[in-house]
Amino acid sequence: MSTTIDRRRLLTGAALGAAGVVTGSAFGSFAPEDALANDAVSALEPGMPDPNFAEGLVRSIDDDVISALGSDGTLWRVRVTSGTSVWKLTPTTFDKVAVGDGLYARGARLDDGTLAADSVWANIVNLKAHVVSISDRKIHLDHNDERIVAHVMPGISAAVYNGTPAISDVSMVQVDSHVQVLGAWIPGTNEVEVSTIYAAA
Amino acid sequence: MAALTCEVSWFCCGNSWGPCGTTGTGACGTCHSGRLQHAWPNASQACWDITRPDLCGINLARRTCGHRHTTTSRCTGRAVATTIADCGPRTKSFCGERSCCGSVCESNRAMDLTPAAYSRIESLSTGLRPCQVT
Repeated sequence: MSTTIDRRRLLTGAALGAAGVVTGSAFGSFAPEDALANDAVSALEPGMPDPNFAEGLVRSIDDDVISALGSDGTLWRVRVTSGTSVWKLTPTTFDKVAVGDGLYARGARLDDGTLAADSVWANIVNLKAHVVSISDRKIHLDHNDERIVAHVMPGISAAVYNGTPAISDVSMVQVDSHVQVLGAWIPGTNEVEVSTIYAAA
Repeated sequence: MAALTCEVSWFCCGNSWGPCGTTGTGACGTCHSGRLQHAWPNASQACWDITRPDLCGINLARRTCGHRHTTTSRCTGRAVATTIADCGPRTKSFCGERSCCGSVCESNRAMDLTPAAYSRIESLSTGLRPCQVT
């Protein structure tokens, strides 16, 4: 049988819980890298807002819909389905997303303006910063002249030195060096939890 | 321009939440995390003086605000077209660094995308990837 399932139709069906619509592997995963394959590069104008990407602070969560206020004033409604991947320091589940979290989400816009999410990233940050000092599982960073405290999380945080495979030992991070910190912001603070730190050895 | 192979990462801009609250709208005054934009190491002489990709053996053409580039992930093969909205990345701070997926590797940071742009070609949680820029 040769059946082409449009991604927007499938996500819409999944979001609305339509009978007979299955999520996940029957038609391919909802992973962003798979979903994106259907979006033509030329369909979007470079420099303009991406209508299939949401950014903001979570204001409320009602059942499977996240309401978030974008920094440009946009009020986003993001619908999470059983196929949505969720990240918050590590891959996790929707119930870990909370009011006050910072949000990025990618998906497909439905007719009512809701974003049916393929992926949701909560509090994710990717900082290029200068290491000011290191003490007891805390790396003190200068990021755009703001001080950020990066917490090394045992069993979670990893270090990549010069592109070598990630290891759990972050002790080779050096004071006065420049690093990239991929992690999760702790809402209401100037602190983050480290997922991966990229550094020179 | 001839295709440039390098590393690609992402950065936030536009006074968003968390540590992005003080980042502002970038060197061009238009940068926002939700837009399809990027930072370029040679957006001006002042920018070049900060990023210095030449110290890593890369000579990049001067391209100013609004110039369009297309970035293709060497891991997924997906591409995104974006315009310059900021200065960066600071290539000299990561000279010789390599990013790989499987046997595909590239060195040196020359492309920084906004979250909206990066998430079109890779998951944000990957953080750093090899790419091709045209």
